[in-house]
Amino acid sequence: MSNTLRISIDGKEKEAQAGDSILQAHLKGDETVTANIGCMGQGVCGACRCLVRKEGERETATRLACETLAEEGMQVSFMDYYQPARVSRYGLEDIRDGWEWMKHLRDVFPEASNCRHCSGCDRACPKGITVQEGIALASRGELQAAAEVFDACIMCNLCTLACPENIRPNHVGLFLRRAHAAQTLRPGDLLRRLDQQRRGELAIDLSAVPTAQGERA
Amino acid sequence: MDKLNQVLLKPAIQVGADLFAWMQQGGTQGLATALDAPQTLIQRIADADLRGMGGAGFPTARKWEAAAQAAGSEKYVVCNGNEDEPGTFKDRTLLSRTPHQVIEGALIAALAIRACHVIFYLNPHQQGSLREMRRAVAQWQDSPWLEKVAKAVGQPVDLQVVPSSGRYIGGEETAVVASLEGGFPFPRKKPPFPAESGVRGCPTLINNTETLAKVSHIIRHGADWYRALGVGAASGTKLYSLSGDVMAPGLYELPMGTSLHDLIYRYGGGMLEGKAFKAVFTGGPSNTLLTRKDLDVALDFDSVRERQSRLGTGAMIVISEGSSIIRKVAEYIGFFAKGSCGQCPSCKCGTFQLARLLERVDSGRHSPADLAALRHLCQILPGSGRCGLIDGAVTVVQSSLHTFPQEYGIAATAD
Amino acid sequence: MTQATTAIPHAEALARLASGATPTLRKSGLSRELLLERYHPDHAPAAAATLQIGANAGERCHPTLAELLQANALIDGFDLAGAEQLSTDVLVIGGGGAGAAAALTAASHGADVIMACKLRLGDSNTVMAEGGIQAALGRDDSPQRHFEDTLRGGHYRADPLLVAQLASDAPDAIRWLIELGMHFDVTDAATDGGTLRYKQAGGCTQPRILSYRDYTGLEMMRVLRETVELDPAIRLLNRCPAVELLSHDDGSCAGAVLFDLEYQRFVVVSARSVILATGGCGRLHLQGFPTSNHYGATADGLVLAYRLGAKLRDLDSFQYHPTGIAFPSRLAGGLISEAARSCGAWLINGLGERFIDELAPRDVVTAAILRECADGRGIERDGRIGVFLDTPRLARQWPEGIEHHLPALAHLAAKCGIDPATEPMLVYPTLHYQNGGVVIDGEGRSTVPGLLCAGEVSGGIHGRNRLMGNALLDIIAFGRRAGQRAAEDIGKRPLRRGDIEHVYSWQRTLVQSGLPRQARAPRLYPGPGHYPLHRNERSLA
Repeated sequence: MSNTLRISIDGKEKEAQAGDSILQAHLKGDETVTANIGCMGQGVCGACRCLVRKEGERETATRLACETLAEEGMQVSFMDYYQPARVSRYGLEDIRDGWEWMKHLRDVFPEASNCRHCSGCDRACPKGITVQEGIALASRGELQAAAEVFDACIMCNLCTLACPENIRPNHVGLFLRRAHAAQTLRPGDLLRRLDQQRRGELAIDLSAVPTAQGERA
Repeated sequence: MDKLNQVLLKPAIQVGADLFAWMQQGGTQGLATALDAPQTLIQRIADADLRGMGGAGFPTARKWEAAAQAAGSEKYVVCNGNEDEPGTFKDRTLLSRTPHQVIEGALIAALAIRACHVIFYLNPHQQGSLREMRRAVAQWQDSPWLEKVAKAVGQPVDLQVVPSSGRYIGGEETAVVASLEGGFPFPRKKPPFPAESGVRGCPTLINNTETLAKVSHIIRHGADWYRALGVGAASGTKLYSLSGDVMAPGLYELPMGTSLHDLIYRYGGGMLEGKAFKAVFTGGPSNTLLTRKDLDVALDFDSVRERQSRLGTGAMIVISEGSSIIRKVAEYIGFFAKGSCGQCPSCKCGTFQLARLLERVDSGRHSPADLAALRHLCQILPGSGRCGLIDGAVTVVQSSLHTFPQEYGIAATAD
Repeated sequence: MTQATTAIPHAEALARLASGATPTLRKSGLSRELLLERYHPDHAPAAAATLQIGANAGERCHPTLAELLQANALIDGFDLAGAEQLSTDVLVIGGGGAGAAAALTAASHGADVIMACKLRLGDSNTVMAEGGIQAALGRDDSPQRHFEDTLRGGHYRADPLLVAQLASDAPDAIRWLIELGMHFDVTDAATDGGTLRYKQAGGCTQPRILSYRDYTGLEMMRVLRETVELDPAIRLLNRCPAVELLSHDDGSCAGAVLFDLEYQRFVVVSARSVILATGGCGRLHLQGFPTSNHYGATADGLVLAYRLGAKLRDLDSFQYHPTGIAFPSRLAGGLISEAARSCGAWLINGLGERFIDELAPRDVVTAAILRECADGRGIERDGRIGVFLDTPRLARQWPEGIEHHLPALAHLAAKCGIDPATEPMLVYPTLHYQNGGVVIDGEGRSTVPGLLCAGEVSGGIHGRNRLMGNALLDIIAFGRRAGQRAAEDIGKRPLRRGDIEHVYSWQRTLVQSGLPRQARAPRLYPGPGHYPLHRNERSLA
């Protein structure tokens, strides 16, 4: 079949059809996959991180296998989930005090100010996030802008792995995003509803059996 | 032991930063000879078959030629003293004990290519080197020699000591350039090579410390004298950094082409008591392992290459039977991972995954699929970086797979 | 898959659609009840089996699930010899939103927690559930309406007590998520902190879906994961699937046996309480259907609970989402959100006809699509069959609507290599949700003491059909309830090493019932099942 192409994954030769993702090709075979796999194409879980080298190219790029099409002669190595051995913890109280965000950011992520601007994080990100800029913004105190840079981050930890200064950029981004929500999000409708419930209003009448039309019987 | 420490490490010339003492030992005679006929220098270096001692073994004269031919009136000579790879400890010895032979060599190089800036790029973690070199350079600046060199070059010549970042990656040629321009030592894509376009776009000759240290002796005593120092076709002497499970680890200057066996057993006192020789990681340590069948190899660039390995910096890390090759390899991979500059994700990510797989193998919990994955990584990583760091990391893994398959639990492949 | 042998070629159907004639809505000719009975996968002959052993013996169950529920255990007693021993107050099994909510809540109530994840923490359906979460906050809305909508949506088969808790817990669940740092879309942010933005969901009398952009589940899961990872009271074990539960002499739950894939060894976790949060079973591909589910959705929790004696319910009821991607095959089963239909996109068969009210309940729309395909009116493209989701018409009526209001759809279409403004997407129902599960009380307790459940593994909250946005709510509301209950039970439950006595009695029952003892479960991972659970790499297939 002319549509069949060969691709090499972790040392195993696989046959794929044109249009298959790397992940689909990976799943063909008699070995059960027990890691580095997740949402199977949606591109939101960040589990299927891999190094991809296209035939005839020197560059070996970081990609998500479920979002990358298999190509003839492609070589793929999956990467384990990277978690740094030591991380400094922070608590919810740290993200709630907006006046101290800069201090907390510095305490929890002291490396963030050491960025050497190598752009490795930008290159590593499979989602095209401008990670390095986000860290620069955070270091300058432009926390909201920094948080927004990481809005679509899927936390695959590739930038954390790629960073030679151990900055953990995606976690900086998440810290700022969480801090912003926890500190500023106070929707009026939710406050009102919670208050009504606190006062014992709006208890549910279990006996009110609804009908198919949505009206009570 | 008569062949030991004949030139660079000759006890008599270890005079430290005292220029007068250096001159009493014949110092500056090489420079004086060079000043008589600067245009012949490159040919003399070529005749001596001097090679780059930083690991590549590239003919020094060709590099000088490229820098001499390159257009531009402002040129640099950089003495690379960043030395930071595991098992290598030669340059720091030269810089701290015999700074003048390094400086004299660098000035001769400046004469040869007509450079007006001479920079000593030194690892700040080696405080002794930095201190002695600063003192030594100050003495040259006060001496009439600099004026003579300037006259020959046709413009003022300045000498500077510049601390490097102290990072492993900072020793890579293009990283040296980046660092001297004031930035982080990020390696750059080649070409252009620094000899054509280096510091701030100027032609820049970057030589290893040991390479430059040899220059004054060659000019003073002649190419024939230098060639005759070597064994067989090999030329001159070499500093070997011997470490690991031997009785007398240390730095040995021996004729280029001395056999590995002689280095370990004749000069290095043999293996630690009760230990048997197993393998050598050559410096450093991004090369193919040498094993028992390689004990007869002549330690010169070409002979070691015939064994599919490299002489590298001349570092020989000796491993004895009973030590885990995989653990050692994993340790070096960790070193490379830490040394990665960050620019190329394949370097950080590749070393991480190599380390993960090696850890599984080392603890005996790996599957055949892990081994296949390890081999596959060794295929897709080389060439993917701007510099050779990832290539070196892969080489050492691949070599251990090839040389000690039984440690990976796989049957040996036919050689 | 019950696909027709005949279908209309894609090019032909496309040409018909492009002709510009306004499609007419064909009369169904079948009542909704008949449509469901004849075409919904739950009613297919291939979907019917009866359980022979266990707490639900004699009850109806999907045959694929029944095979797993009545299978032998993966381990024997000797596997526990030399296993690593851990102990904790609360063991949470499952790394999705329900597990995270349970673990965090148990920890905040003073419990020591071990959280065991089959893949990684966060690898779950939660991260993929981007539509939103229900909470009745609007002025014209109330928990009562939410309760009633949910009950009706589930065909009145849900447990009203659980539904009432679901609806009344919702506002505080949202508050809790915000406190952890989760974002929600707001309107009028400038005034008084704004109001949360509500979206409409099928089957709801009020718009009450709260969301964060197109990736509510991603936002929820990344916040939950970070919180769990930073919580010193929670010990996280990734790549440690639970292979069996442990029991005390009285039949109560005593912990679980995990298999640590990284270190290739069994781990025995003794716990005062176990919270199962293992999710659903889409990856069983019931009746060959594609699935929108995560790779790990293999019904493990149901199998473990059932073997220990827990009562289950509604084991023959599954949600097949009407609009899964049918083409290209690499994305087959992936979800196209209900939003496209609620914005007015029609479903068109190969003859260029509409055939169903697109906003009818999910099960009805699904049955209608399957009917078209079964009767040869489906559309075939490169061997994949489905019907059109007519986005070009939507684009003509509402220029820029897709780009601005349905960015997820636009993104998905781009992944499919399709411009939704000019080309319709091919859709086919996809296995989406396990409506039933382990019977629980209002605090997540199963019928087995010491065993609690939260999330998709539990049953009774959604009846026989789940509304959009109630799954994300369910995992938080009942995850928190189960976590709190387990923490409060610390003083009442023993911390002693259990055993697998229940496995031996199960094996006796298997023999007595003439059931095969070779079949083993849980599945743990889709695929051929040749992973080395035992040192000697004994095959589990």
